[in-house]
Amino acid sequence: MPTPQPFPSTDFMAIGPPVGVRFPDVVLPDQHGTLVDLHATRGTRPALVVFYRSARW
Amino acid sequence: MELQAALAEYERNGIAVFAISYDSVGTLGAFSDKYSIAYPLLADEGSVVIRRLGLLNEQLQEHHAFYGGSVRDDQLGVPYPGAFILDERGVVIQKRFEDSYRARETAVGILEGAFGMVSEVHGPEATAMHEGVTVRAYLDSPTYRSMQRLRLTVELRIADGLHVYGTPIPDGYVPLTMEVGPVDGMVIGDLEAPEPIPFTIPGLDEAFQVYEGSVKVALPLTFELATADQVLDVTVRYQVCSATDCRPPAALQLQLPVSVLNHVERPG
Repeated sequence: MPTPQPFPSTDFMAIGPPVGVRFPDVVLPDQHGTLVDLHATRGTRPALVVFYRSARW
Repeated sequence: MELQAALAEYERNGIAVFAISYDSVGTLGAFSDKYSIAYPLLADEGSVVIRRLGLLNEQLQEHHAFYGGSVRDDQLGVPYPGAFILDERGVVIQKRFEDSYRARETAVGILEGAFGMVSEVHGPEATAMHEGVTVRAYLDSPTYRSMQRLRLTVELRIADGLHVYGTPIPDGYVPLTMEVGPVDGMVIGDLEAPEPIPFTIPGLDEAFQVYEGSVKVALPLTFELATADQVLDVTVRYQVCSATDCRPPAALQLQLPVSVLNHVERPG
């Protein structure tokens, strides 16, 4: 594991849907192949939406 | 599966959890079976949603070049890793993306730090008591791994009629702070503390900011290396006063063990 070096930083507040705005509609299949509508599934609950690199690496 | 381990805490607090990657349904199905994942792993094959939301990690190629590696074709299309916190209406209230390329918060850390909920599950805790104040410290996880961000939470319960100082503070008084002894590769972030309340003493010009009752502060700790099990030496400093007099500044020492986790767990 190399010692982390400073890497050109990214302004993450400028990336992706902004704060204060409804998260876009997302409809994708889940791990069982069932289509999931994120907002419909969420209903009236708050939500954590995690983006990650991959389940494979 | 760190998020799966915390899922019951999210459900108890009525928070929905979704994880999105560019993996196929087949890949996610196998992963889900292997680790008994009970929340939706959404398959954004072709990174259509990742692109539409502007989350495509265009830095990956640059990043690998920076470290002397190369990007495989099947690694293109990854998002910036991070999380969105949505409120009851589905509005984005926070974005939890990291400056550091791979630093990740723990799921319990996000539950407490972003949603303001209290998890019943966390790492080992230590308590100490001095001058009418009970100090309880805990990490959000009993384990850490390389490039993970843990939250060190310290909760003070202050006896009635007493207060401790926040900042800003006049010279000669000691505000509530905490320190963690140096650990190789551990970067200490800024203290997260609630707004103190103004407090004035009749006859004194000085304006004080104080905490009364119960106060919780947190310190983000990012582990850039995962070399060995650690015992964190935590020092909590404060000064206790009543409306009429002050005690000498206190420095309480607490120790929190955290063990290293080297095997890869995903997705977060």
